[in-house]
Amino acid sequence: MPGIDECLVEAMRLPGALGAAVVDWTSGLALGTVGEAPGGDHETTAAEAAELARLAAEHRTFAPEEGSDWSGAGLPVEDLIVSNRDTYHVLRFVRTTFDSSVFLHLWLARTDGNLALARIRLGEMAGRLVLA
Amino acid sequence: MSVITTPAPRLPVRGAQARQAVSPMLKRLAAERATGVLLRECGSLYLSEGEVVHAESPRSPGLDVLLTTGGILDSEGWREAVDTAGAGLRVGRFLVDSGRVARGALELCHTGALFDAAYFVLGPSSAPAGFRYGAAHWLGPIRPVPVATVEREALRRRDLLHRIWPDPATDDAPLIRAAGLAVPPVPARQEAVLGQVNGFRTAADISRSLGRPTFHTLVDIRRLAAAGLIATAPSNAYEPAAGDEVSAPTQPWPLTVTDPDIALLQRLRDALEAL
Repeated sequence: MPGIDECLVEAMRLPGALGAAVVDWTSGLALGTVGEAPGGDHETTAAEAAELARLAAEHRTFAPEEGSDWSGAGLPVEDLIVSNRDTYHVLRFVRTTFDSSVFLHLWLARTDGNLALARIRLGEMAGRLVLA
Repeated sequence: MSVITTPAPRLPVRGAQARQAVSPMLKRLAAERATGVLLRECGSLYLSEGEVVHAESPRSPGLDVLLTTGGILDSEGWREAVDTAGAGLRVGRFLVDSGRVARGALELCHTGALFDAAYFVLGPSSAPAGFRYGAAHWLGPIRPVPVATVEREALRRRDLLHRIWPDPATDDAPLIRAAGLAVPPVPARQEAVLGQVNGFRTAADISRSLGRPTFHTLVDIRRLAAAGLIATAPSNAYEPAAGDEVSAPTQPWPLTVTDPDIALLQRLRDALEAL
């Protein structure tokens, strides 16, 4: 059964992975980090990624048609993808059976990264992390 | 073209209190890789070989509340785990090994709770701290965190709240909803907090009933306060009878604002005073 660290190590095995973190988007806290971070600072990266995640999670525009909330069966948003000239960021929300606001953040090099694969794998990891 | 060489004057920041070191004693304990419990005014911090393994504060819901509110575990299951593994100081391990809680879920929940309680334990305090060498918590280590990380996070959290809304009054006072204002739609998690505001509950009470870390509630409360949707209840607020579900009690002016312009002026004044 994977813990936070095993989950991060697994994320780093994805092609092109530069760094990964488990972040709480209400507080901006990095609960766990591995590899590199943009600018070399995981804590700043977590705080900034949390801001982006919070906006996506809170605005109704991004929620599915029938609506959903954090206590219900599904998350309002599954993941967020940001791309720039040289890297991708994939933020995957983690659904938990206790009240939380957690996401996985994967940073990928654009030359080696496979966005579709990373997105699928990150979703699986998010599920395994919290399922007994 | 002239070049400005003198540095800009320092912007006014929060009082000296906010800048002080979190706890000089804690730094020393980390350096000597101490094991035991640091007892402060607002709770305690458990160290194992110089790393933080657990924190608890009366202002922060415990792991039992967080796990049972969401239904991951019932209170019976929790009691059983404590009875079985408490004496051996390995309740955390037992919860995972017996299949009650997934390891990842326990780590996420407990680490969140640790930083939440540590924020209050390491808050500004005038009372002296004490340290009991050798003491260990019955949960056992789950995911130890370096002291420096916990201290940095406590300071970062203070700054985060300050940036959202500089007035800390709503952090520990009973709260009321600002009456008479058409409430704009707020995000679901803020709505859950707003639904708990009834004139006598504090942020800590609301967190306990939602099964949510108190710092998360403080963030939402500061946002709601910044939006003018909640305020602190007057100190003479009446005490409702036990079990009496009260909606927003009506309060006399000026504590319940009915005129948006007056509300705005009051918020401006409060914000200026809090600078």
